[in-house]
Amino acid sequence: MNPETASHFMRSLAVPLTLTAAALAALFLPMIAGKDDARPGLAVLGAALALLAVFPASGPDSISLFSGALTLSPFTNYLWPFFLTALAFTVLLSLRARGGLPGAGEYYFLLALAALGLMLLVSAGELLTVFIAVELLSVCLYALAAINRSPAGAEAGYKYFLLGSLGTGMLVMGIALVYGTLGTLNFEAIQSALPFSHPSSLIPHPSLHPLTSTGFIFLIAGFSFKAALVPFHMWVPDVYEGAPTPVSAFMGAAVKAGGILILYRLYVLTAGSAQFREIFWGLAVVTMVLGNLMALPQQNLKRLLGYSSIAHAGYISAGFFGGSEGLKAVLYYLAVYALATMGAFAVIAAVEKDERGITVKDLDGFSGRHPWLAGAMAVFILSLAGIPPLAGFFGKFYVFTAALKAGCVWLVVIALVMSAVSVYYYLRVLTAMYMEKEHTALHARPSRAMNLALILLALAVTALGIFSAPLLRLAQAAAIF
Amino acid sequence: MQFIDANLLTIIITLPLAGALALLFVPKEKTGLIKNLALGISAAALLFSLRLYFAFDAADAAMQFAVNKPWLPDWGINYRLGVDGISLLMLMLTAFLTPLAILASFNSIQEHQKAFYASLLALQTGMMGVFAAMDVFLFYVFWEAMLIPMYFLIGVWGGHRRVYAALKFFIYTMLGSVLMLAAIIFVYLAHKAQFGTYSFALADFCGTAFPLKTQLWLCATFALAFAIKVPLFPFHTWLPDAHVEAPTAGSVILAGVLLKMGVYGYLRFAVPMFPAAAQSFAPWLALLGVIGVVYGSLVAWSQPDMKKMVAYSSVAHMGLIVLGIAAFEPAAVSGAVLQMVNHGLSTGALFLIVGILYERRHTRMIEDYGGLAKAMPGFSAVFMIVMLSSIGLPGLNGFVGEFLVLFGSFRTYPWLSAAAVSGVILSAVYMLGMYQRVVFGPVTHEENKRLPDLNAREWAYMLPLLAFIILIGIYPAPFLRKIDAAVRTYVTAVQKPESALAGERGSHKPQATNKERR
Repeated sequence: MNPETASHFMRSLAVPLTLTAAALAALFLPMIAGKDDARPGLAVLGAALALLAVFPASGPDSISLFSGALTLSPFTNYLWPFFLTALAFTVLLSLRARGGLPGAGEYYFLLALAALGLMLLVSAGELLTVFIAVELLSVCLYALAAINRSPAGAEAGYKYFLLGSLGTGMLVMGIALVYGTLGTLNFEAIQSALPFSHPSSLIPHPSLHPLTSTGFIFLIAGFSFKAALVPFHMWVPDVYEGAPTPVSAFMGAAVKAGGILILYRLYVLTAGSAQFREIFWGLAVVTMVLGNLMALPQQNLKRLLGYSSIAHAGYISAGFFGGSEGLKAVLYYLAVYALATMGAFAVIAAVEKDERGITVKDLDGFSGRHPWLAGAMAVFILSLAGIPPLAGFFGKFYVFTAALKAGCVWLVVIALVMSAVSVYYYLRVLTAMYMEKEHTALHARPSRAMNLALILLALAVTALGIFSAPLLRLAQAAAIF
Repeated sequence: MQFIDANLLTIIITLPLAGALALLFVPKEKTGLIKNLALGISAAALLFSLRLYFAFDAADAAMQFAVNKPWLPDWGINYRLGVDGISLLMLMLTAFLTPLAILASFNSIQEHQKAFYASLLALQTGMMGVFAAMDVFLFYVFWEAMLIPMYFLIGVWGGHRRVYAALKFFIYTMLGSVLMLAAIIFVYLAHKAQFGTYSFALADFCGTAFPLKTQLWLCATFALAFAIKVPLFPFHTWLPDAHVEAPTAGSVILAGVLLKMGVYGYLRFAVPMFPAAAQSFAPWLALLGVIGVVYGSLVAWSQPDMKKMVAYSSVAHMGLIVLGIAAFEPAAVSGAVLQMVNHGLSTGALFLIVGILYERRHTRMIEDYGGLAKAMPGFSAVFMIVMLSSIGLPGLNGFVGEFLVLFGSFRTYPWLSAAAVSGVILSAVYMLGMYQRVVFGPVTHEENKRLPDLNAREWAYMLPLLAFIILIGIYPAPFLRKIDAAVRTYVTAVQKPESALAGERGSHKPQATNKERR
């Protein structure tokens, strides 16, 4: 190992190692201090996060670590800060809810490890690392969903665990089949082992070995569970509803992104095959259509946002077809979508009484008592609905343009019509807040941390659309595998 | 001064939004300050617009006061603004109606006043932006963003079924515009395929050539979005709901300006971008317009509710305007553009009049009135002039526009124009009937005897409207001169669609490869 690589190596590993150390500090400091006050651990965690978010993990070129198990590239340079920011916002949202509760230390520990899992997931260079990352992430989330030890939380955790295990089972099966037929787990090696990466005139349309195909289908299904694409979405509404609201926010914003990006990797691997493109096309359409339709009748706001997150996964997958332009759009979309979702959950967290959240009806007349909170919620909801000049509109525009450039006219038309349909359920939230008479007085006591998070998120969602050039430039730099 | 002139359009567009943001920081108890600030801001915007009007060179057919600054350069999205005669008149109409609408709301809006005036001002920014944008992306952003304040105006300060009306308005418009967005992106990519550069400039969009079949599809999506906004029969069903439920100021802006955006869309985008397709669609547009004239008039005739009657009369008037722009005759198009202004003035005034009555009696039913001439002589006189202008009585503004439209389109569509005349006659029937039942006859309700006449504030917003109703009626030439060059450009763009189709051979290839890639 030459000195330059060694320094890269150290710098890159510093990020996950610091995060792990911070997570451990959050777990153990309260124990050492002898009381259930998690604040010291939090301080450590917060400081570490702030440091890491600005830490450049590697330069503009990719480096491969541990014989290809981890690949650090501009791609991870974009996503690691993304996940860390999501984690930081989740911590801000959690401060009021978790302050005095038992198990606060474990809570932040698990949250940080889940973020670590996501970071590993997007930097994984081979399937086994992917699997380990997914498990690290999922196990933490199962526990986090149930951490309040309430009936709703237990139900959420249990459902998530059962269906998640099904997804994991499919992953293992898929990995086994791919390894069995291709003899490698490394993404690059898989890529070059696939017949359509060497187009030859002798075989105009090379097809995969049936077992390899089956393996990939299992992999796609397994990751569709994580990204919550229809028909692998059944866990989403219950888990989003039952989990503590900051955890739901983290799932909607960050975990969703991880799932989508690993699916993108699979798309790239199999893009040479028309059948697999059809599969992804079908998944995208079914997800955006059903996600939106199922969101229409929802009453609980957390469930509604859950279905909305499914629908957004559908829109995002439309960007898969657009090549590197598409990936750039997807990365931009993920960021602005995460900000808006995080914000909407933050408002819920500020007003809810227990982790079941609130119904749309509870928000009736909300703007009268809390004009600023209602205004922030309106910004997030309108961004999710894709109304200009908010960032969500620009995300949709970039993704759909990339898809249209690849010739997916019908996919884009369906997506656009569905986003017009989605306006109906998003506007229900605004209607309740601004146009109905108040009947249950919601008393919001947002903590100072929560207020800070809300202000930052609302500003970002407002500004990142009209001034999307800087974020796009970052996404552009990252949009190379 | 030089700075102001160079950035005149930007100032006109951003000033109301800046005012709206400033309003948010005024304490909500200071309602007097809020009202005066809102009025002051819209008056300032009007002053800047007057500067624009007088500095505008009517002889120059090019876009004036053009601004072109990069916004998202990688995507070819620029901050492009500019005005020609048509845009100019629409901008003036917006700048003129907004302060009047604000003034008319001083009494009728008592709840959430701060948010109300902020929404109105934000809406003004959206409308100004739509009329000044020369970048299709920028246009779309303004076009969609405008829905948010309008949705709040209807939904928060509206009548009983306001939530339903606001949702219907939003979703109906949105459904039309998302398809237009797909078409916009399609044209944008086709331009890249043909010229190698990304650009959302309107001029570049107009220069992109398509085979006729593609053009028909693209034109249809644009036409649908604009038809919903106009609204053309049978896409008009959102309009009566929105109008009836909206507060007076909302109705004034909706009828006065928002409906014009649909027609403006045809004039500025759908037709110049797809001239060949527009030519084959034109007879159908004209037909729908005339159906709207007849149907709108008949439905208006049977309305017991004054506001609904005015709303349906809007459908009829807008139908006539569409007939005018589909005729592609300079006289008809000039008449249609002038009629857009006229309709904004007289229908805006009619909604204000209904609002004045509603504030006094809290009913809009014609049967609840009668014999108002005694109690409210000033009001009755104003009402008469406005009503006659809406009917199209010679000497008032409505006549000039309607005459030019019918005269011009008669050469292209003799039968349709003849049918449209019936709408003009019908409008006289129902409007005069309504006026007679409201203003003349015996007083059937005791309360009507003691109704106060117009107060100073009401005179203050009715008089400017009356002044223009009469001025345009007597001396329309200066207004027609301003739009002359723009109308000529529009008509010639359609008359030579062969040149647009010339690129058909060249553009076939990229289309085919696009399909293959999918």
